[in-house]
Amino acid sequence: MDQVAFIVWRESVEALLVIGILFTWLRTTPQGRKGLPWLWAGVFAGLGLAVLLALVLLGVSTWLSSEGQEWFQAIMALVACVLVVQMVVWMRRHGRTLKKELEGGMRAELDQSNWWGLLVLAMIAVAREGSETVVFLYGTIAAGDSAGMAWRLALAGVGGFATALLTFWILQLGGKLITWRRFFKLTEIFLLLLASALLVGGLDHLVSLGVLPTLMDPVWDSSWLLGTSGGLGKVLADFAGYRAYPALSELLIWLGYWFCVFYLLRRTGGSGTLPKGKSTVRVANATRQA
Amino acid sequence: MRERVKKVVTRLSRSVGMWLAGLGLMLGLNGNVYADGLPTFTLTFRADGTFDPVRLEVPSGRFKLVLINDSKEPVEFESLPLRKEKVMGPGVKSFVVITISRPGQYPFFDDFHQDVKGTLVVVPKK
Repeated sequence: MDQVAFIVWRESVEALLVIGILFTWLRTTPQGRKGLPWLWAGVFAGLGLAVLLALVLLGVSTWLSSEGQEWFQAIMALVACVLVVQMVVWMRRHGRTLKKELEGGMRAELDQSNWWGLLVLAMIAVAREGSETVVFLYGTIAAGDSAGMAWRLALAGVGGFATALLTFWILQLGGKLITWRRFFKLTEIFLLLLASALLVGGLDHLVSLGVLPTLMDPVWDSSWLLGTSGGLGKVLADFAGYRAYPALSELLIWLGYWFCVFYLLRRTGGSGTLPKGKSTVRVANATRQA
Repeated sequence: MRERVKKVVTRLSRSVGMWLAGLGLMLGLNGNVYADGLPTFTLTFRADGTFDPVRLEVPSGRFKLVLINDSKEPVEFESLPLRKEKVMGPGVKSFVVITISRPGQYPFFDDFHQDVKGTLVVVPKK
């Protein structure tokens, strides 16, 4: 019973964290609020996709072959990685140029593409783990022998989701307790680490498909120090892309990822904070004029 | 000018269409081609919550592992060292292709029933 609740929590928490962070970011600026409908549209599209994927995993539908599933997983992970980095860069730039955008209103059209990125990101975040949750819950409840058992299992599933929502709420609370600048900084680091985990996960699929050569496999074996079967190693694997037996090609791409991220953030500059002092007054003026 | 734009757009949409068709072919129709001729092993998730076999010996290199879920519950074959994560509904049969060059022992488990564990033993190719 506890296991059911735990697995549902584990499967939903990643998506809820991503959606929660994006939601909090968007809510803080008037310009960002325009993105909220896109975010929710992405969440709903993600739920739809999760059900479609679940039907494949349950063997009900065969629109994706076994290899097709692997490709799909790889593409979802890699696209999500790119979109997370893009969102982080965009938020930084957005925070810095908010004033200009409000005055000019010229970038509204340019933002359109970012909103699509936001929609797709939310969709993937929900669909990736959501499909597994659907299969897990459906299968577990269907396997419950008596009706009473199935109900209790369903309740445990709801409990797990509620715990994940609680995690989401604590995150929202965190956004209020610490300064916006620090909240942005922390969530930015979290998202960039998560994107690196998505990258490594996607590369794993490509290696499995035989598309990406390993060059040298493995480069080292650190399983004696930190295994990935459970505990800290598992958390680091899921949220930072840690591997106990990395392939050389994956290691090089991982290093390349961090190089690109640092370059992009350096070039973008700014700390992603809202304009302060004088510019805030300007923002107010601009809003009044509009 | 407009003519030219039109031409580029048609050409672009045509190539995108072909690319999508190619992707569809890759995903759907040719699903099993890449796994042909590989050494094949079978791993069953049994109804009593154990793996069959618990210890699986394979030669190093590339091989195909057929996964059969004989239990009434959903299972997830998972092993980060093997770079695999596969969710399967009750009664589903599927497969994964694994490439491991270094001989050694690699643990795998059922992520939905974490006490269900097994070991893949990779032996040097003769």
